[in-house]
Amino acid sequence: MAELLTLAVIGAGTYAMRAVFLVTARHKLPAPVGRLLPYVGPAVLAAIALPAFVAPRDSVSFAGTVPALLAAVVTWMAWRCAKNNLPIALFGGLAVWWLASWALCAA
Amino acid sequence: MGHLAGGGVSTATQARASVVTRASRDAIPVVLAYAPFGLALGATLAATHIPPLIAWSSSPLVFGGAAQLLAVQLLDTGASVAVVVLGALIVNARMLLYGAGLAPYTAAWPSRWRWLGAYLLIDPVYALAVNRFQGPDSGTARDRLRYYLAVGLILWTAWMALTAAGMLLGGVLPTSLPLDRIAPLTFLLLLLPMLTSRPAYAAAATGGFVAVVASGLPLELGLLAGAAAGIAVGGYLAGRRG
Repeated sequence: MAELLTLAVIGAGTYAMRAVFLVTARHKLPAPVGRLLPYVGPAVLAAIALPAFVAPRDSVSFAGTVPALLAAVVTWMAWRCAKNNLPIALFGGLAVWWLASWALCAA
Repeated sequence: MGHLAGGGVSTATQARASVVTRASRDAIPVVLAYAPFGLALGATLAATHIPPLIAWSSSPLVFGGAAQLLAVQLLDTGASVAVVVLGALIVNARMLLYGAGLAPYTAAWPSRWRWLGAYLLIDPVYALAVNRFQGPDSGTARDRLRYYLAVGLILWTAWMALTAAGMLLGGVLPTSLPLDRIAPLTFLLLLLPMLTSRPAYAAAATGGFVAVVASGLPLELGLLAGAAAGIAVGGYLAGRRG
């Protein structure tokens, strides 16, 4: 029961963070803050993704980092070539990640 | 007149259907991309000592994979309630930024829908919504609301089902499946459509670089440091370009 209550508190806190700006959206944000907003997505998503490519499983190593970065580049190229087709880019990147990891392990 | 009115209703219905169809077309590939992550998370939840139903309840209560994973794993190791709550809320602090980022597009929505929309706000919902709303065919405020709710409800339903399935299949999934590789590639694919200007590239490059350098910090603080640095650089460069 304590676990459920803890999860409920986390849920309430997370909801409050999601809602605080969305629900008060009618109040116009100050111009300097508004100028920053378009860069929230690029900055946050890159901050989530890049460490996972540079240090997969929380450590930098040739056998771990090189296949991950290669997969990221291939995913990017596949996304552009396949006209933003997400599954093709995702599974193309995954295949390269797996193959490069396998090749480096076998070498 | 009746014919015209009927035509009007038909056009409105078609417009609604078109927005929902577009939302489904955008959301379903993300569901496919998230499927391995959701299954893996469910399997991890099932492997803890927490009663299965309570562990799964983190999906509807928290609705955010990274925070769910952290919270349930910390609870499983017997960490104090304060540490678990603080850790999960820090991981989810980016939701504040997402809410602020979406606010200019949601101001015209009735407040009850903004309250519901807040619950559905997660990384891919934010990414899909902002990419759509910034585009030339974002439509009216009502179209944006329909699109947002459709994307959010599709991803919410999928997340509940995937984490439940992962819990049920926990012991069956082969451990050799590279499930941990799906999440960063998915985030990369959500990021790419946002790279539409030099300040956006600079924000992403700075955010990623600082997050890598600060990745040793506890409780995902490196993520927040990277996000803050990236946003600041993007805003600074945009200001210089005028």
